[in-house]
Amino acid sequence: MSEAPVLSARALSLVYGDGARRTTAVEALDLDVARGEFVGLVGPSGSGKSSLLFLLAGLRRPTTGRVLLLGRPLDAAPDRNAALRRRHVGFVFQEPFLVPWLSLRENALVHATGPGAAARVEDLARRVGVAHLLDERPHRVSGGERQRAGLLRALANDPDLVLADEPTAFLDHPTGHAVMDVLRACVGRAALVVVTHDPEMLAGAHRVLHLRDGRLEATTAAGSPPATAAGA
Amino acid sequence: MSEAPSPASVPARAPATRGAAGRAPGPLAWLVRNPRRVMPAVVVQALVTALVLAVVTPLTGFEATVEANIAPLSHYTGVTPSERNDFDPALSALLDANPAMQRRVRAKALWMQTPMIVGESYAMLLALEGADQADFLARIGNRLVAGTLPAPGSDGAVVPADVARARGLALGSRFGRLVDPEDVTPGRFTVVGLVEGPARVGLVDLAYATVPDFVLARIESFQVVYARPGRKAQSDAYLHAATNAEGKKAFKVWDEAYWRARTKKMLENLPTLVNAVVGAVTAIVGLVVVLLHLIAFQARSDEFALLLALGRTRRSLAARLAAESGLAAAVALALGLALGYGFLAVWEAQVLRPRAILLRFFDPYALALSAALPLASAAAGALVLAARLRRMDPVTILQRRNA
Repeated sequence: MSEAPVLSARALSLVYGDGARRTTAVEALDLDVARGEFVGLVGPSGSGKSSLLFLLAGLRRPTTGRVLLLGRPLDAAPDRNAALRRRHVGFVFQEPFLVPWLSLRENALVHATGPGAAARVEDLARRVGVAHLLDERPHRVSGGERQRAGLLRALANDPDLVLADEPTAFLDHPTGHAVMDVLRACVGRAALVVVTHDPEMLAGAHRVLHLRDGRLEATTAAGSPPATAAGA
Repeated sequence: MSEAPSPASVPARAPATRGAAGRAPGPLAWLVRNPRRVMPAVVVQALVTALVLAVVTPLTGFEATVEANIAPLSHYTGVTPSERNDFDPALSALLDANPAMQRRVRAKALWMQTPMIVGESYAMLLALEGADQADFLARIGNRLVAGTLPAPGSDGAVVPADVARARGLALGSRFGRLVDPEDVTPGRFTVVGLVEGPARVGLVDLAYATVPDFVLARIESFQVVYARPGRKAQSDAYLHAATNAEGKKAFKVWDEAYWRARTKKMLENLPTLVNAVVGAVTAIVGLVVVLLHLIAFQARSDEFALLLALGRTRRSLAARLAAESGLAAAVALALGLALGYGFLAVWEAQVLRPRAILLRFFDPYALALSAALPLASAAAGALVLAARLRRMDPVTILQRRNA
């Protein structure tokens, strides 16, 4: 018997506004992401990639459909998912959003839930090459180092699901690749969903989902041209 | 399309446990590490706390000065006849029938004014016979620190040293309405002695105060009644209850209770006035402090949006903000009290003490009013920030930054 997906979405849609200003950000999307799976999400600007990511994290109330995390349905009210999100989901943002008055170590542990988090952060910091910077404040390190600190925070609680929203957008190519390498290497058994404009960053992805106007247009293996048939 | 790895193909991980490790730095760290964000609210609260303390403490100190003036009345009771100028034999017999009385002495009561910051205060000058003067000073705990007691029949006056200092009087100085028409003390006296002690009361000679041609002679007679040890209340009750032949009250009793009630009546509007002014100041400055908190909160909106997105609850963040504004208020209160008391210490030494104005330094009422602003600001700040946090949409903020 196969293990239940870490993340499931069924008939998921998100609609903003009313009347003429009505915008469909995500439309009737089904998705399963297994443990250890790396899924890429690509699409043009405004295609609904980030909206989908926030829906999957339980941070947005879906217009229809539902999301299951580790088999447990997320509440429609985002605040009620806080504990589940804190414990099981790691976020990597386009802009690392480090708290400026905290050191990199304190930033990494800002939402830590267990006694193992501090040791895990130390270990990860060595692996991503920022161990010597853990006591520095964010403004004293480079953009790439800040993004790596963001990775430490995302992985501090050893999450089951890591959601990354354009994690390399503000980085040059070599640094972006380095960050993605680190993310892939450190994510462990967690399911990884990465939104990006840059297909090169999805090397090693098990699947790449192509979104357009909120709809899942195609699913491909990384590096392949999108197929015409939709599927998840 | 590559296959998703099976669960068996990735290493197992240790089960996560919840615990306290790895907590973010607390409110104190926020205060210490962000002085530029925190200090405006702290400084405003501290300065207003100091200001309220420095203004309200001397106002309530007025009461302390009056208390000092009536302190001697815990050792004796003054009595004058009701509706007449002198004690006739019947009234004297009525006084002597007081079972709790130890002794009574003839006297006249006069007053010496001392300048206050606003208005004047009055210290008693008792006219006593020479033989009774030393005994009186001993009973009330005062001692002669300079000069002598008034000689019989002389215009000599023994004056409390602090009152003399406040009035600019020294040994040999003259005072009274015959010297200065504005003076409330009738007649003319020469300072021959200075007294110090717990009771602010001076002495003049009764024989001089009863010279027939002198205006003082027409001042109503006064009796100083000493009660037996431990029976002052009983003695006072007798004097209050005593009635004359017409069934009316026989005596006007000038005891501690009378003066305390009179002082209370005199000052009864002061707390209302002070409360209203301090309340208005607290409301206005509290609003400013809340606005400063809001500005600081706005500057940290990314931080709170991030924490909400990462799974911190709004309640925990609201508690965190309440702790931060509470801590800032506590720092402001401590700073404000230090500033206020520092100012009061200098003001008392330089201005109040030379004028014989007493200060109840650690006055609970002034302290409570001073603490009102930081406490109210902390409470209002916590409520407003909690409301702001409740409306915050973390996704909108995170997407705006990413855009």
